[in-house]
Parts: sequence; structure tokens; C-alpha cells
Amino acid sequence: MAKYVLKRVLMAVLTLLIVTCLTFLLMNAIPGNPWLSEKTPTQATIDALNEKYGLDKPVIVQLGLYLEDLLHGDFGVSIKMQKDRPVLDIITSMFPVSATIGVIAILWAILVGVPLGCLAAYKRGTWVDSLLRVICTIGISMPGFVVATILLYLLAGGIPDWKIFPTIFVGTWQSYILPCAALGFYPMCYLSRQTRTAMLDSINQEYIKTARAKGLKNRKIVFKHALRNALIPVITYLGPQIAFTLCGGFVVETVFSIPGLGRYFVQSIQNRDYPLIMGTTIFLAAFIIVMNLLVDLLYKLVDPRINLSKGGN
Amino acid sequence: MAEKKRTKVLGSLQPDVEDILDWNNLPESAFEPASTQEKESFIQDRKSVSYWKDAWRRLRHNKVAMVAMVIVILIALFAFVGPFLVPYGYDEQIRGANNLHPWHYTLEDQARINAYMEEHNNVSNLTPDEAVEQAKAEAAARGETLSRVEEAKIRANAKSSQGSGNTKVTEADAIAALGISAKPFGYSSDELQRMANGESVFPHVFGCDTHGRDIMVRTMIGARVSMIVGICCALIVLVIGAIYGSISGYCGGKVDAVMQRIVEIIYTIPEVLIILLLGATLKPIFEEFQNSGDGPLQQLVTVLGPNLIAIFIAFGLLYWVTMSRIIRGQILQLKQQEYVTAARALGAKGGRIIKRHLLPNCVGQIVTTTFLQIPSAIFTESFLSFLGMGVSAPMTSLGSMCSDALSGLTSYPYRLFIPAAILSVMILCLNLFGDGLRDALDPRLKK
Repeated sequence: MAKYVLKRVLMAVLTLLIVTCLTFLLMNAIPGNPWLSEKTPTQATIDALNEKYGLDKPVIVQLGLYLEDLLHGDFGVSIKMQKDRPVLDIITSMFPVSATIGVIAILWAILVGVPLGCLAAYKRGTWVDSLLRVICTIGISMPGFVVATILLYLLAGGIPDWKIFPTIFVGTWQSYILPCAALGFYPMCYLSRQTRTAMLDSINQEYIKTARAKGLKNRKIVFKHALRNALIPVITYLGPQIAFTLCGGFVVETVFSIPGLGRYFVQSIQNRDYPLIMGTTIFLAAFIIVMNLLVDLLYKLVDPRINLSKGGN
Repeated sequence: MAEKKRTKVLGSLQPDVEDILDWNNLPESAFEPASTQEKESFIQDRKSVSYWKDAWRRLRHNKVAMVAMVIVILIALFAFVGPFLVPYGYDEQIRGANNLHPWHYTLEDQARINAYMEEHNNVSNLTPDEAVEQAKAEAAARGETLSRVEEAKIRANAKSSQGSGNTKVTEADAIAALGISAKPFGYSSDELQRMANGESVFPHVFGCDTHGRDIMVRTMIGARVSMIVGICCALIVLVIGAIYGSISGYCGGKVDAVMQRIVEIIYTIPEVLIILLLGATLKPIFEEFQNSGDGPLQQLVTVLGPNLIAIFIAFGLLYWVTMSRIIRGQILQLKQQEYVTAARALGAKGGRIIKRHLLPNCVGQIVTTTFLQIPSAIFTESFLSFLGMGVSAPMTSLGSMCSDALSGLTSYPYRLFIPAAILSVMILCLNLFGDGLRDALDPRLKK
């Protein structure tokens, strides 16, 4: 176990390093520079600014300096969007909003999706199963922005006298509901589909037959015996789903004008705010990588049948 | 079968061979040549069913998949044939057609509405354009033409009288009071005039956007972009994944180990972040390249559009991993089979074994995975376009149309819902058809 964990952690660090370097090189390959705005500054001003923020050195040297600072926990300062404010400060002030929405979305997706999947498996072949399958297939076919804008239109002012929720994010609990609902819809449908499949797999196993032979009620077999084993594959889908929720977060934050990290990341790319792009990318990438790592380790913990020494595909 | 034999000889598992031994005693006269008819029917009975025919038969019985296929074909016709049937260009700004709804009122109805509003508001409620048109018509009746200055004056007058708060009775009130119902399809007042003169005018079925561009044509072009992106990305993923996966699976050993470590690293890279960065990076680079000269490569970039190429590259770099894993798994399984050993014993080289023996045997899985890559690529492209990192104006895609419509959501909801609906239906049907394809090509996987 220890060896496996060590190997995975090393792999995660390596991936993060690659992402960091890749982002740095890509970012510097974007034509244009951060100083361009409505008024084009003179060449002397650009040179002075470049020198101040260390952009006059070769890219490789810049990368080396950046990595060195990073090791000391220094993400640099924003050079355009919020001039001279430390990037880490921006991230820590914006991430809580994104994280709250993401966590609520994932939670409701699990709490609703898994029971719905069980229900579909329990009632398989009936109209309940068919209805759930139709809803879930439609759910995984609608891009996040479609779900978000439909909700926005229906419940936040599109229809007269039907404005239940605020159109623009203001920080009250009401303004969290629509973004969370929109963000959790895809994972909910996806998890419910996966739970149904996993459930049907485990229902066909021998120990279920034993339970049935013992005379247990069907409901008890499905929701107690089969569910426990069916949850194992569902855990593996959680890792990618967390990443997906984050990427859906970009869209939902744009639609609902939420001052979150995802929207800020997109804006920082458009504004060529180099340290901010680097900071947010590294932070978000580290977050996704750590989440995936945790989910993988959790997977091994709950299923002792899996061979740890062989990597685990 | 086994049970039948057991009842014949009680207590013994041996088959009863007495009958078969009897065949040795058949006389010569018991044999006769088969007639031609018998030969023919023999061939008929044994008519071989190919893998694809078999799969097609199974697919045809899957109603959901067939309906999905028909819808996909309809959308494809809409996207690829449609733009040739509609006489408007996707970037053509039609004069006087700004913000046209997908419905219209006939000229008589419009006159009634205006009369009603004038009567109740005591002020003419013409839009600046309408006021100018009216003045022009009056001038023409007098045999004069309006100078530009006069036109501007009338326009300004109409604008100020419009905004001066005398909107006690709005257009909607007038319509409700007069009981006028809208006719389908949008026409600008100019076009209505031309129709009244007996010309035939192609309607704006979905209305027009703020710049007076026909929304239906833009939707068609957007759907076309989505489909092209989906298919090209799936093919790129297929080629890279198949080559990488089959080499890794077939070689095994150290080569496999190294190749799989690379796959694992790419697998853990958060692709959304990188794809956003790639989209932002490659687009301007290709635009620069496009403007740098007039060679065949530059022309290719112009044809495809720099942004589409950026998306293709992002897919080619990141999304082949799943495909390569699936193919590697299949190859690992298949290479243990006897026919591979036989081929190797006969001296076949690695490349030939992969191409002739291994890949054809996992074709079902390859086709299914490739096909299901199409909706996923469309999904990603629309996501990028929605965030403004996809195709750039004046070119359009379903995602960027949705993003453009967001600001006017309350007044023009259909501008968002039409492309969103087409996008969702397209992804849904591709998913359903892909599922059907999987069931048909690989019946063992059916749940």
C-alpha cells in the first residue's frame, strides 16, 4: 500500500510540474502582451514595464525563476487585472465561492443520483426505469450552459411574474440555488446511469442468489446487499466528475455572473495577465489532481480485492 | 443433447454408437447424385452473413437507434444542404431586418396597430426608420427626393417623440386590443412591401439578430461547424489512439510500460484547463500564419479556420488516451489467440499481424468508441465557443450563438433556445445512436 501511495504521489507531482511548464510555455506563445489596451503605450513604457515584472528575460530563465519562487510559495503579483495584488490573495478570496457551489452541486448530484440509479435498477423494465433513463440520457446530452440558461430564463425573470431567484449573483442563499442546480444536473444524471449499470452487475452475482435463497425481501437485497458493492465503481466516476464540475463551473459562473475562480481564469487568459494565468492554472490543476488521487486511493481502500502492486487499470 | 444420450443407455455417459456403426453397412444403391435444385438450395441455405450485415440487422431492430439516426441525418441535411437553399449568407447583414422576430404582422395589421396607438397616444409612434420611409414616400409622391440632412432631421424627431414618455398604450396593448394575431416567419417592412408588389421573398424563419443576420442560416452554419468538429476530432483520436494503443499492446514489456506511464500522465492532466489555454494560444498563432503568405498550407488554414485547427490540435494532443487504452486492452487479449501464434509461426511481421489480424478483430469496439467521441467533441467545442475561445466572428457555432444571445435573453429567448435545442438534440441523438451501434456491433456487452 505504502509503495503504491508513494508511486501515485510522485506521479501527481510530476504531472503538476508538466502542467506548470506547459502552461508557462503556451502562455508565452500567445501573441500580444499584457500592456496593450485602448491606448497603446510607447515602446519605452513597455520596456520599463517588462523590466519591472521580469518579462524582458528569455522564457526559459523566466520559467526557472518562476519555479523557484513557486517552491517558496510565492505566486507573484497580478500585472494587469488587479495590478500588484498578490495572486495567492486573489485565489484565496475567490476560490471559496467556486468551491461552495461545486461542493453543493456534487453533493446533491450524489444524494439524488445514486438513489435514482438504485430505483431504476430495482424497478428495471418498468415505466419508472424507462422514464429515468430518458431523463438521464437527455441530462447528459445537454451542455452545462444550456441547462444554466434555461434555469435562468424560467426562474429568474424570463417569464413575467415568475421571478423567484435573483438574476445576478449577490451572495445570498437564494442566489446559490440556481447555479448549484445547473452545475449538479449533469453529474446527477451521469451518476444515476452508472449506479444503475453497477447495480444490475452486482444483482447478477452469486451472493445475491444466496440472499434470495435465504428468503430476504427484494428491497432489502437491492438497497442493502447489492448497493454496497455497486457503490465501488461509482466511486471511480467521482474523480472525473469533480473535474467536470469544475469545468462546468467556468460556464455556470459566466452565465450567472458569479465572482468565482473559474470565470476569473477565463478572463485572465483573455487579458494576458501572465502570473494570474499561472497561479489559477496551477491551483486548479493541483486541486483536480489531488482529488483524483484521493478518489483512487479511496477506491483501493473500499475494495480490498484490487491488486495494489499492479498499478490498477 | 447429453440428457437424451443418458436416457438411452441407463447409467452410462457413453454415447450410443450402434446407429453410427450401422452406416458402414450402407449399400452402394443408397447413394445418388444431388440434383441441381438441391445443390442450389444448399448454397441458399448456407448463404453467409457478414459481420456488418449481422450488425445492421440487429441495429435495424433497435427502434430508438433508428429514430436517432433519422434525426441525425435530418440535422446533417439541415446543416450541409440548408445553406445552399436559403438565399442569405451567414454574415450578410440585411438592411432593416435588425432584431426581427420569427413572426410578423401583415402591412394592414401594422397600419391598424399604428392607427390605434396614434389614436390613444395622440402622437405618432413610428420608429425612426419608419418615419423616414414615410417621409420618403410622401416626398416621392410630390416628385422630390429627400436630402440626407432632412432624413437625419426626421430620424431625430421620431427618436425624441418616441422616447418622450408618451407610451400609455404600447404596441403589445394595441395588438391585444385589436385582436391581431401574428403570422409565422419574420419579414422586414421592406420585404413585406416587396411581397405586396408581387415579388417572392424568402422568409426569416427564425428571425434575425441585432445586426440583421438571418438566424436560420447562422444556425445551419453553426450546426455544420459542430458536425465537422465532431467528425474530424473523432478521426484524429481514432488514428492516434489506434496507432499508439496497438503498438503498446503488441510490443508489451518495457515499451508498453514506458508508453503506459506517458498515457497515465496525460490522463491526469486536467484537460479543460489546457484546452482553454491551447484554444487561446493557437488561434492567434494560426491567424498570424494565415496572413503570412499565400502558400497551399496557408490556404488550408483559411479554409478550415484557425480556431477549428486549434481545437483539432487540442483533441489530438489530449483526447486519444481513452481510445489507446481500449485498443491496448483488446490487443493484449487478442494476441494470446492461436491464430496470432500461427501467423507468427508462418513468419508474419508485427505490422502485418496488427493490421491484418488484431485490428479487424477489435473493429466493433473501435467503431463504437470513435462514434461516441463525436458527441463528446461537439460538447467540448460548444463549451469553448460559449466561453469565447472557439470559432471567432463572423464565423459562428452553436455555442457562440448561445453566448451572444445571453445578453438579450429576456427579449429574444428564441435566439438562445433555437441553437441550444439543435445542439442538445444533436448530441442526444448521436449518443443514442452510438449506444445502439455498440449493442449491434458487440452484442456481448449488452446489458
